[in-house]
Amino acid sequence: MPEKPGFSRLKLVRREGMAPPPTTPSPYVELGVSSPFSFLRGASDAIELTLTALAQGYDAIGIADRNTLAGVVRMHSACSTAGLRPLIGCRLDLTDAPSLLAYPMDRDGYGRLSRLLSLGKMRAEKGQCELTLNDVASHAEGIAFITWPSDDLDAFEAELPRLRDALTSLSHVAASWLYRGEDNARIERLDRLARANGCSIIATNDVHYHAPDRRPLQDVVTCIREKVTITTAGFLLNPNAERHLKRPEEMIRLFERWPHAISATREFADALHFSLEELRYEYPRETVPDGRTPQQYLEVLTWTGAAGRWPKGISAKVMKQLKHELALIAKLDFARYFLTVHDIVAFARSLDPPILCQGRGSAANSAVCYCLGITAVDPATSDLLFERFISEERKEPPDIDVDFEHERREEVIQHIYAKYGRDRAGIAATIIHYRPRSAIREVGKVMGLSEDVCGALASTVWGSMDPELEDARANDAGLDLSDPHLRRTMKLAEQLIGMPRHLSQHVGGFILTERPLTETVPIGNGAMDDRTFIEWDKDDIEELGILKIDVLALGMLTCIRKCFDLIELHHGERWDLATVPQEVPEVYDMLCQGDSLGVFQVESRAQMNMLPRLKPRCFYDLVIEVAIVRPGPIQGDMVHPYLKRRAGKEPVTFPCPDPAHGEPDELQKILGRTLGVPIFQEQAMKIALDAAKFSSEEANQLRKAMATFRSRGNIETLQDKMVGRMVERGYDPDFAQRCFDQIKGFGEYGFPESHAASFAHLVYVSSWLKWKYPAAFACGLLNSQAMGFYAPAQIVRDAREHGVEVRAVDVNCSDWDCTLEGERSLSAPIEPVEMRALALRQAQGERNLSLRLGLRQVEGLHREAADSLVAGRPYRTVEELRTRGHVPVHAIQRLAAADAFRSIGLDRRAALWDSRALRQAPDLPLFAYAEARDEGAEADPARLPVMPLAEHVVNDYQTVRLSLKAHPMRFLREHYAAQKFITADRLKIIRDGKRLAIAGLVLIRQRPGSAKGVVFITLEDETGIANLVVWPDVFEKQRKIVMGARLMAVHGIIQKDEDDGVIHVVARRLEDHTHLLRQLSDEALPSTLNQGDGAGSWRAPAARHPRDVEIIPKSRDFH
Amino acid sequence: MPAIAIERWAKANDSSPDAPIVLTVEGTHGPIIHAVTRAAAARGARAGARLTDARALDPAFIALSADPDGDAALVQRFAHWAGRWSPLVEVDGDGLRLDVSGVAHLFGGEAGLIRDMVQCFVAAGITARVAIAPTAGAAWALSHFGGDELTPLPVHALRLDPDTVRTLERLGLKTIGALLDLPRLALARRFRGGEDVVDALDRMIGRKPEPLTAAPTDPPPRALLKLEEPATHPEAAVQALERLMPGLVHQLQERQLGARRLSLAGYRVDGSVAVASVATAIPSREPKHLQRLLADKAAELNPEFGFDAFALTADWAESLASAQDSLVEEPSGTREMARLVDRLTVKLGPRAVRRPREEESHLPERASGWVAAIGSSLQAYPSTQPAAREELSRPPRLLDRPEAIAVIYATPEGLPRRFVWRRAVHDITRAEGPERIAPEWWRQPSTSRLRDYYRVEDADGWRYWIYREGLAGDGRGGAPNWFIHGLFG
Repeated sequence: MPEKPGFSRLKLVRREGMAPPPTTPSPYVELGVSSPFSFLRGASDAIELTLTALAQGYDAIGIADRNTLAGVVRMHSACSTAGLRPLIGCRLDLTDAPSLLAYPMDRDGYGRLSRLLSLGKMRAEKGQCELTLNDVASHAEGIAFITWPSDDLDAFEAELPRLRDALTSLSHVAASWLYRGEDNARIERLDRLARANGCSIIATNDVHYHAPDRRPLQDVVTCIREKVTITTAGFLLNPNAERHLKRPEEMIRLFERWPHAISATREFADALHFSLEELRYEYPRETVPDGRTPQQYLEVLTWTGAAGRWPKGISAKVMKQLKHELALIAKLDFARYFLTVHDIVAFARSLDPPILCQGRGSAANSAVCYCLGITAVDPATSDLLFERFISEERKEPPDIDVDFEHERREEVIQHIYAKYGRDRAGIAATIIHYRPRSAIREVGKVMGLSEDVCGALASTVWGSMDPELEDARANDAGLDLSDPHLRRTMKLAEQLIGMPRHLSQHVGGFILTERPLTETVPIGNGAMDDRTFIEWDKDDIEELGILKIDVLALGMLTCIRKCFDLIELHHGERWDLATVPQEVPEVYDMLCQGDSLGVFQVESRAQMNMLPRLKPRCFYDLVIEVAIVRPGPIQGDMVHPYLKRRAGKEPVTFPCPDPAHGEPDELQKILGRTLGVPIFQEQAMKIALDAAKFSSEEANQLRKAMATFRSRGNIETLQDKMVGRMVERGYDPDFAQRCFDQIKGFGEYGFPESHAASFAHLVYVSSWLKWKYPAAFACGLLNSQAMGFYAPAQIVRDAREHGVEVRAVDVNCSDWDCTLEGERSLSAPIEPVEMRALALRQAQGERNLSLRLGLRQVEGLHREAADSLVAGRPYRTVEELRTRGHVPVHAIQRLAAADAFRSIGLDRRAALWDSRALRQAPDLPLFAYAEARDEGAEADPARLPVMPLAEHVVNDYQTVRLSLKAHPMRFLREHYAAQKFITADRLKIIRDGKRLAIAGLVLIRQRPGSAKGVVFITLEDETGIANLVVWPDVFEKQRKIVMGARLMAVHGIIQKDEDDGVIHVVARRLEDHTHLLRQLSDEALPSTLNQGDGAGSWRAPAARHPRDVEIIPKSRDFH
Repeated sequence: MPAIAIERWAKANDSSPDAPIVLTVEGTHGPIIHAVTRAAAARGARAGARLTDARALDPAFIALSADPDGDAALVQRFAHWAGRWSPLVEVDGDGLRLDVSGVAHLFGGEAGLIRDMVQCFVAAGITARVAIAPTAGAAWALSHFGGDELTPLPVHALRLDPDTVRTLERLGLKTIGALLDLPRLALARRFRGGEDVVDALDRMIGRKPEPLTAAPTDPPPRALLKLEEPATHPEAAVQALERLMPGLVHQLQERQLGARRLSLAGYRVDGSVAVASVATAIPSREPKHLQRLLADKAAELNPEFGFDAFALTADWAESLASAQDSLVEEPSGTREMARLVDRLTVKLGPRAVRRPREEESHLPERASGWVAAIGSSLQAYPSTQPAAREELSRPPRLLDRPEAIAVIYATPEGLPRRFVWRRAVHDITRAEGPERIAPEWWRQPSTSRLRDYYRVEDADGWRYWIYREGLAGDGRGGAPNWFIHGLFG
C-alpha cells in the first residue's frame, strides 16, 4: 500500500550557517539527556538537541532515555551529520534501587544492555519495563554506570553501599544544580557520600529540553502524563526552566566548587568506544550455501531464473541489463539482500498450494528480481532503469516490499521465524506521532478547554496545512483565534506535533540479523499476546543499514489466486501472474470504457473517470494510469497537460534551459516516457537534481522533509531554492512552480514509478480475469471478503451485467465460499441488465458459468455451522438440518431469515416459522424423542400473511446485503416515473446540458481533499448508476441531505464529455427521500440518521434505536 | 414524559427554544445524543445518534452534557407528586404508572382524570402523554403509540427485545391483532425463554397479573406543631422551636443522621409561609446547639396575622453515628471548633468567617488562599498537612506585598552582600540560594520575570527572604530589581 500521509522523518542536513563540527574536545559533556522517547518527559527532539549542543561548543552528547533505546538512532544520525559524537546509553529506572545511567563501552556492552532491556520489557506489559538491581548486575560487564540519586538523600545514603556492592564498576554519582535554594548543601552532601563509597560525583543538568523556552511544552507533556490540567498540576511541574542544555562554561561556573564533577564527565565520555555504526550490515548467512560467495550464488540463481523466464533465449538487451545490474549489486555488496528476499519468495512458491506474491519497491522492478521470481513485471516490456532505484551515494540498502495473499501472510511470517529464529527475526516498530488532531486535543485538555472547543480547534486543522484555511475554519467554529489562551494552546500543540507518542507494531516490516536480535535492539511486548516487536522503526533500521524486508498482505492477491484456482477447476487451464497473456487488446477495450469495477487500484470513481480519458492501450499506460490519479499530479496540475498531449491536442514539448546553462534535451531524458509531463516521484526528484541542480544531499533533504508539518518554513526555503534555480537556468517560472507543487503533493502521497509498475501488473491481471472469466472473477472477489471499494451488491450486479447468472444462497447448494456452477439454466429468468452481455458472450462462444452465492454472505452465520450444514446434505425439511446436520438452531434461523430454503420449497416466512419451532437440545436420540412427545405435532399449520416482494427485497438486504429478486428502486419507479424522474440507463441518450431529475440509492460519497470541497456521490437505481457532482455552494446549502440521505432525489444538469463519454449530473437541488424506503416494508417509523461524519472514514452508528432496523446497507463514504 | 431531559434542562438554563442544543452522554465511541431541543430536532438531530454523525449533517449543534441522574431524580419527584391522583405510583423509565382503580370518580370519571393530569403537567411545563387502560402493559402501549385500541398497534408495543420484534415482523406478524389471531400453542413453542411473546401478550390483555410496586419515599426528618388558636406574639416562633426540637432530634437519632441545614417554617393563617434557616459546619443533632443557632433567626419571623402551624425540617442531613467523646465529657477540639464556626457564621455571615487553604503553586504568594469556613467539606477541615515541600524552608511570615530593596551583589548571579530595607542597612553575613521560581507561563504575561530567592542572615542575626526579579540580559526589562518577601523567626 502507498505510504500514509504523515510525518516522514525529518533528517538533519548540514547547511550553510550551521556551526562547523567541533575540533577541540569540550571540557564538559552532558550525559543526562532525555529525548521525547522518554515518553511525555523530554520535550525536544534529537535535531534540536544536537543543533544546540553544536552551537554551544560540545563535541559529544549523551542520550539516556528511560528504559529505552528507541531514540538513539535519531540522536546518532543527527549527531553524525553535525559532526558530534553521540554517546549511546539509557536511563534504567529500577523497581528496587535508585535509577542508573547506563552507557555501553563497546559493542558487547551494548549487546548486554540491549538484552537487559529486552528482559525487562518482555516481563512487563506493553510499553513498560521491569528491572531489578540483580538483573542489571548480571548484565553489567562492559557498561559504565552513573547512579541517579533520588530527592530523598537519606534513603539514597542507605542505598548507595548496596548499589556499590552489586555493580563493581559503578563509580559515579550524578549531581545537578537544580536552583532549589539548597543546591550547595545538597551537592556537598552528595560529594561526601560519593567519596565515602569510593565514588565521585559527576555533573549533569538532567536535560529535558534544548532551550529554556521549551519549558511550557515540557509542563504540558507532564500534565498529559499525569492526567491533570495545567492549573491543577501544582507541584508536579518544575518551578523553573533550568532543565535545558547549558553551555559547558555555564556548567563549569555552577560547579565551581566541585571541578572534579566536571572533569569526570570528560573522562567518562572518553572511556566510551561504542558507536551504532558497528551494527551496520550484519546480514544473516544461511541464504548462501557453503563454498560460494553470496554474489556467486546470486548470479547462479539469476541465470537459472533467466533461462526459465526466456526459454527461447535471452535477448541482447536483457542480457546487457542483467550484467549491468549484477555488477552494480556486486559493487554495493547487496547480494545477500536479494538472496534473502528470494528465499522468502521461494518459500511462498514452494508451498502446496503456493502463496501468490509480488515484490515492489525501489529495487523490485529490476531484471534480476524478474529472474529471481520476485516480481512478474517483465523488464522487456517496461523501461525501468535500475540505477534510478539504487543510488550509490545514498548508501542505503535497496528497498523491496513483498505483497502476499492477505489470508496466508501469517504462514510466511511463521516461516521467517522458523528459519531465522525468533531471536534473530523481529517486527519493526511504528512510532506513533502526535498528529495535528491528537496534539490539539491533548494540549487543549491540559489547557482546560472543553471537549467541544478542543474538537472545534481540531477541526480547524482538519486535513489542511493551509494557515488561511485554518483561520477561516476557526471562525466558522466560533472560535476567536486572537484570544491569547487559544493562541498559546495552538502554538503548544504545533510544537507537540511530530513528537513520538508511543511505539506500535509495524504491519509487516521484518528485520533479520546475524547476531541474536536482542543484542542489536531491545525487544518488547506488543498489545497482542505472542507479538513482540523491536524498539526501532523502519527509518531507524534503514539508517543503520540493517536488513529489512516488508512482508505485506494484499487482498487482491488472494482474489487473483482464488480466481486462478477456480479457472483451473472449471476450465482446466492453469495461469499464474507471469503467464497471463500480455497486452490483450480486448482487456484494454474494456478498461477504456471505464468498466473496471473490482479491478485492482483503478476501481475508484476518480480512476473510472480517468480510464476513458487516458484510454490505456499498453502496459505502460496502466503504470501511468495508476500513478496519475494521485494527489501529487493533481496538485501539481499535471493531469490535464498529459491528457491533452496524449490525445494529440497539444504538441509534446520539453521545457528547456537557456542554452548557456545546459543541454536543451536535459528534460527530454527525464520526461520522455511521460510526454514531457512529470508524473512519477522520481521524475520530480530528477528535475530537482538536473534542472535545479540540487546536490544529492539537497535532494534528499527535499525528499525527506517534504511531508512534515513542522518543516513549513523549511519547505518555503526549498521552494525558493528550486524554483529560483530553475528560473535562473532559463526555465519557465510557471513550469518550475508546477514541478515544485507536484513534489509537495508527492511528499504526502508518494507513488514512485516502481510501485506503479508493480501495481499496474496487478491491474492488468485482474482486468484480464474480469474480461475473460467474469464469473470466476466475481466469485474470487466475493470470497476474498470485503476488500475493495464496492459492496457485494455492486460486485454481483456487475457480474450480472457481464452475463453471469447469479444464484441465491441455498442450504442445499451453497458452500461456505461462493462457487461456480454449470451453464445458465434455461429456466432462469434473464434480467434486462444481463441481456446484452449475454448475447455478446454467446457470440464469443464462451462457457457461461453461473455464480452460486456462498453461505459466507449470510450475515451472522459462523463457519462451523456452515461446515456441518454442508456435511449433512441434502435436506428435505427444516427439521433435518438440526437432526441430521447438527446445525445450531440460531444458525438455522439465520439461514431461514436469509431465504435459503427455496430448494426445499419454503419461502423465507415459511422457513422461519418452521425454524422457530426447533428447540436446541443436546444431540442425543433420547432428547429428540422426548421433545416430540412434549409438545406434539401441530394439528393445523398457522396461516401467515404472504410476504410481498418488496418486503422480501428489504429482508434480502438485511440478511445477505444484496437482493437478486429485484432492486429496491423498482418498487418506487411508478412513483418516480409519475414525477418524470428518469432512470440511470437513459443518461447515455440524453443531450449534454439538459435539465433532469433522477433518484437512487446512495452508494458512495466522496469528498477528496484535492477536490476543494466538491462532493462526489454515486447513486444506484435498478438500471445502473449515476455519478453526481455537488459543488461546494450546493453542498453547504444542502449539507444535511448530502451527508444524511440514503435514498436521494436530484434535480440537476447533465454534463457529458464528448471525447471520453464521461457523464456527470451536476446537482442543483437535492431531496432526501429516505422515508420512501420505509414504505417498502410497511415500517412507518422514522429513521435515525446513520452516516459517517465529515471528518473521518465511515463508521457504523453506535447506538441505534431498536425499532430502526437497517433496511438498505449504508453507503460507503470516503473522504 | 418523552422529553423530560430536555425540558428539565431548558427550565434550569432558561434557554431560547430556537437554540439547536443537544444533550449528550458518553458512549464507547464518543458522545451519543441523549436529548434534543425542538430546534435541534428540526435540524435532524435524533436521540441515540452519535454527536459526530449529527455534526456531519449540521455542524451548528451545540453539545452539552446530559445529566441522567438528575433526570431520574426529577422523575422520582414527579412520582411523589403524582400521589395526588393515586396512592400507588411506580416509576417506569422516563414515565410513571399509576394504579387508578377506584380513583377516577374523584376527578369526574376517567376522562376527567386524564384532563386533570394533562393540565397539571402542562402547568409544570412538562410534556406528558397519558393513557388509561385495564392493564399496565396496555396503558404503556397506548400512551406510547396512541389510539384507543390494542389490535392495530405494532408489536413494538409489547416491549419485547428488538430481535424478537424483528423476527415477528419477518413472519408477517406486525400487529398485536395478528398475534392474537394465531393459535396460542404455535406461538408459545416458537418464542420461549427471554423472548416470551405469549407472556407479554397475556399481561397486556390481562390474562396475567402485573402488580405495581410503589415508589419508595424518604421524607426528610420533620417535626410538626399545630396550634389551636393562631399565635400573634413575636415569641411564638421561638417557643414553637423549643417544643419542636426534641421531636426532630429524636427522629435524627432514629435515623442516625445529623442536620447540616435546618429550617423552621411558620404557616400563617392567610396561607403564606415564613421560613428561617441555618446551616452547620459538621452534621449535628445536639438540641441545645441547634436551638441556639436557629433561635435568633426564628425570633425575626413576623407573625403578621398569626401562625397556626410550625414545621421544623432538617432539609439537608448527613449520616452521623452515635458517639461518645469520653467518659469525663471533655469537649472535643474539632467539635467545639465546628460549633464556634457555626455560631460565628450565623452572626457574621459566611463571607466573614474563612479559613486558610494550601494551594499547589510554586509562587509563594499563590501558595495559600482562603475559603469560607462553613460549607466546605468536612475532610478539609482543619487544613491538611503541608504538601511534600518540607525541604523548602519558607518563611513563616510573608509580606502582603514584596517591598523593593537595594542590594549589593556580584553580577550577574552572585550572592547578595548587603541590602537596604526601609532605610536600614543590613550587612549579609550568611546567604543561601538561589531558589529559582519562574513565572506561571499559562497565567502571567510573557514579560514577567523569574525570581531568584535567597535566604539571608544579617549581622544582627535577623533572617530575611529576599529575591531578585529577573536576570541581567533576559530581555524582559533593564537591570534586575530586588525585593524582600518574607521574614524568618
